[in-house]
Amino acid sequence: MKYFSYIWRNMRRNRVRTVLTIGSIAISLFLMMIMLSFLSVNQNVSESLKGYNRVIAMSSQGFATPVPIRFVDEVALMPEVLAASPLSWYGGKYQEEVMPFAQFGIYPDKILQIWDELDMPDDQSKAFQADPSGCVIGYKMAAERNLKIGDPLPLKGTIYPFDLNLTVRGIYKCPPDRDGRMLMFNWNLLEEGLKKEFQGRQAGNAGTVFAKIKTGGDLAAFCKKVDASTINSDTPTRTQTEDAFVAQFAELWGDMRTMISAVGLAVVISLVFVSGNAMAMALRERTTEIAVLKAIGFTNGKILGMVLTESVLVALMGGIVGSLGCKLLFDVFDVSPYTAGALPFFFIPWQTAILGLGSSLIIGFVSGLFPAVAAARLGVIQGLRKVV
Amino acid sequence: MSENLAIQLNKVSKEYSRNSMRIPVLQGLDLDVRQGEFLALMGPSGSGKTTLLNLIAGLDRSTSGDVNVDGLNLSQLSESQLTRWRADHIGFIFQMYNLIPVMTAQENVELPLLLQPVSRSERRKRATTALKIVGLDGREDHYPRQLSGGQEQRVAIARAIVTDPALIVADEPTGDLDRTSASEILDLLETLHRDLEKTIVMVTHDPQAASRASRLLRLDKGQLVGDETQAEAKFRLGAF
Ligand SMILES: Nc1ncnc2c1ncn2[C@@H]1O[C@H](COP(=O)(O)OP(=O)(O)O)[C@@H](O)[C@H]1O
Ligand SMILES: [Mg+2]
Repeated sequence: MKYFSYIWRNMRRNRVRTVLTIGSIAISLFLMMIMLSFLSVNQNVSESLKGYNRVIAMSSQGFATPVPIRFVDEVALMPEVLAASPLSWYGGKYQEEVMPFAQFGIYPDKILQIWDELDMPDDQSKAFQADPSGCVIGYKMAAERNLKIGDPLPLKGTIYPFDLNLTVRGIYKCPPDRDGRMLMFNWNLLEEGLKKEFQGRQAGNAGTVFAKIKTGGDLAAFCKKVDASTINSDTPTRTQTEDAFVAQFAELWGDMRTMISAVGLAVVISLVFVSGNAMAMALRERTTEIAVLKAIGFTNGKILGMVLTESVLVALMGGIVGSLGCKLLFDVFDVSPYTAGALPFFFIPWQTAILGLGSSLIIGFVSGLFPAVAAARLGVIQGLRKVV
Repeated sequence: MSENLAIQLNKVSKEYSRNSMRIPVLQGLDLDVRQGEFLALMGPSGSGKTTLLNLIAGLDRSTSGDVNVDGLNLSQLSESQLTRWRADHIGFIFQMYNLIPVMTAQENVELPLLLQPVSRSERRKRATTALKIVGLDGREDHYPRQLSGGQEQRVAIARAIVTDPALIVADEPTGDLDRTSASEILDLLETLHRDLEKTIVMVTHDPQAASRASRLLRLDKGQLVGDETQAEAKFRLGAF
């Protein structure tokens, strides 16, 4: 395109202004990407969990109230169930880091049957089951903290009144949308600890119950059945499919979703004004020049096209930096170690990045429209007279 | 209409309206300009020189009367037709040079060629030739701010001739230049007139500039009050 070089140089005329426009678009879209992805990541994970046939049972009172360990065994005996394990949150400190990663007391012989997308060599699995104080960690955590099989892994209790001195027996691999930083150890360690250090108070509890249902099982019916079986016990349960369990975190954000969308729209509109203003200023400075172009034969349509192209290019650069930059940043740089396990993984989905890019195109087009039309309609005579 | 007439005005009037008031600027002008004439247009400020030039160059339209350039009645063209016609037929030279500051001399000269069906290499070649004609070979990569006023105006002249238009219009082309530079610009215009046989219409305040033209036109209050060949003018002024 033969006019490109001229358009490009026009963009670079007032570099500070162009950079500021690009910068404000980039920063706003960057933040928008994070907000939108925050919502969608949860949703994506929830979607990806469907088909794994897993349920989570917890007390109807919520997380904080544990269910008795015998309940795990009752669930395991139900004919629909393939395997069941407690999932007991330990929440210890590692080398003075508070809650650096998720730590669960589980049944070592069951957990990989349930979490079958976690992948670990058989010999490691056997070693883990053989060592009462063994533990299994995710490959990301192993890499980040340089932990190898056989390394000691001490945890300081914060919720529990005792420490755990674990040894790494296995390192699991997992798909990118699963937590690669979990630590799992034998649930018995919690039980023994409570008996020894806490006079047995709080012992016999399972936190939550995690179970995998045999293929073809009706998950919804199963959840109802479990809850019906406990309704008259001391600890009535609430059983959900794993994807519903994860999705409820997104639902916590439900109201926020509308608000975030509204904020996003407001941001886009204000960016239209920011870049529209910059474009209008740029063109005001070029009034005579545009008149000269028209005098020597550039049609109104050509002028309109050049101004619009310039405006779209500026905004698109902001979009590329803000949206693609944000995506790339979170692809390369993993924030989850800094979120204390609250976000096991965070990434900008492609559709969100494309949405950001699309927004920048719209911002560029709409904001350029008025200045472009004004430039196209500028009278040649008036434009030329400004200097003479 | 004679074939060799470059410009022909028939009872051309132009008025502006300002606040519902009609301001007559040009009143019933008749004018014939032959191909290859070098016309100087003089007159006091506000007499309508620029307005007349704009009509001839197809930048503006007359209120009444016909403006014919190269046998074409401009008032019959639509605005976009007029714009394209200018690209092919007119070379513009302005008092303030009006080069594009972000483009090099070469690129400024190539600019009008972007509108022509001309290849990239052909554009280069023609712009280089035009710059050579105005004596700026070697300055192709200079930006306007790196050139003197006289040099800038020479780039502007190169831009005006690069499409090889039949008619060149210049509105006070030396108005912002010192004597020496002005004289060089006028030399150039004379060359274009003499060697390339361009028709040139030049508005000027400067009698010395006007003396380079082949014909002198005087405008006062929107009417032609003088029209003489250079020989007649010189004779009248006692130059012989
Ligand atoms: N767009 C316009 N609206 C109203 N009056 C104008 C306009 N353009 C020019 N004029 C008037 O027309 C007259 C002639 O202007 P112009 O052709 O520029 O004169 P010159 O070039 O001889 O100085 C002046 O009185 C000027 O004020
Ligand atoms: Mg004037």
